[in-house]
Amino acid sequence: MKRKLLETKQTPSSKIGIGFLVSGCVVLLASVVASSTVLAFIGLGLAFWGGLFLFTRPVKFVTSTLLDFTATSSYITIDRITEDLHYKGKPIYVPPYPKEGRLPEYLKGLKEMIVFIPAEDTVAMPTIEEMAKKQFLLKNPQGICIAPPGYGIVNLLETELKTGFTQIEVDQLYTSLPTIIVSSLELAKEFEINPENDLIHTKTVDSVYNELYSGKQGLKSIHSIGCPLTSAVACILAITIGKLVTIVKDTVSSDLKTIEVWYKILEA
Amino acid sequence: MTRTNFPLSLWDISLWIAVTAIILLVTSELLAPYSDYFGDFVIDKTRLRLAALVLGAAFMVTVFLHALAPR
Repeated sequence: MKRKLLETKQTPSSKIGIGFLVSGCVVLLASVVASSTVLAFIGLGLAFWGGLFLFTRPVKFVTSTLLDFTATSSYITIDRITEDLHYKGKPIYVPPYPKEGRLPEYLKGLKEMIVFIPAEDTVAMPTIEEMAKKQFLLKNPQGICIAPPGYGIVNLLETELKTGFTQIEVDQLYTSLPTIIVSSLELAKEFEINPENDLIHTKTVDSVYNELYSGKQGLKSIHSIGCPLTSAVACILAITIGKLVTIVKDTVSSDLKTIEVWYKILEA
Repeated sequence: MTRTNFPLSLWDISLWIAVTAIILLVTSELLAPYSDYFGDFVIDKTRLRLAALVLGAAFMVTVFLHALAPR
């Protein structure tokens, strides 16, 4: 049983690479001793492919189901907090102040991306000073400030893009974001982002986080705050446009393959 | 005392590098549309492409050496 599990779950072994490399070196030495061209070619080939097998092994490889299981606890926590405090408001993504911008010491907290979950479903935002204090519970208006679940992905996407999202135009974002999500980070098989009237619509096919929408855990906040990928897109829109963003609605196909989300840009 | 020499000349190595570089470049191009994980086979495509390009460049260096010193 243990052996079967190991066979299916383990990352690629380096044994083949090492075997090729060692035998190649031995054959190369033999070719020098025997002055044989054929042996030299065989040895060179074996040693090279051995080295290549070792070189092209992925450094880290985890199954995508692990992502869902690690993300679940955050959503359960958010659900517990909002239920306990009886908060009904839709989460609002608040853009951070640009990283390169200079701010006085007491406003340094504005450089972090936050999601404001208001107590009531009204668009009333706390003051800049209040948000800069990095408080969790806010009193005027009542609500909580948390870090977005997809903020880590935003940093990763910025590294892939080799620039900050504040530096690019919205049109450029619509063309480059699907490429990074699908080709570079492989977070989904297909990703589309388009403006639709006053909303922004995204369609994600085969997202690595689609199991979070399955309903097995009964996560409620997943539809309002979004899965880490949906949350990352909301953060990116807020950063690039420089305005508040909220998730208006989402639809998930019955087989969990297709996730459609509609975002709204709010005028603060 | 007999002296042992490596049996391949620069020309032989150049030919070997050329053949290997072509194999790797073609493989890298064919794998480009696929994910790093297909079936039971996992490979870092970026590193494969890097190895192919390095071998291609190495071949060009050997050609350059031939051009500089043909004999």
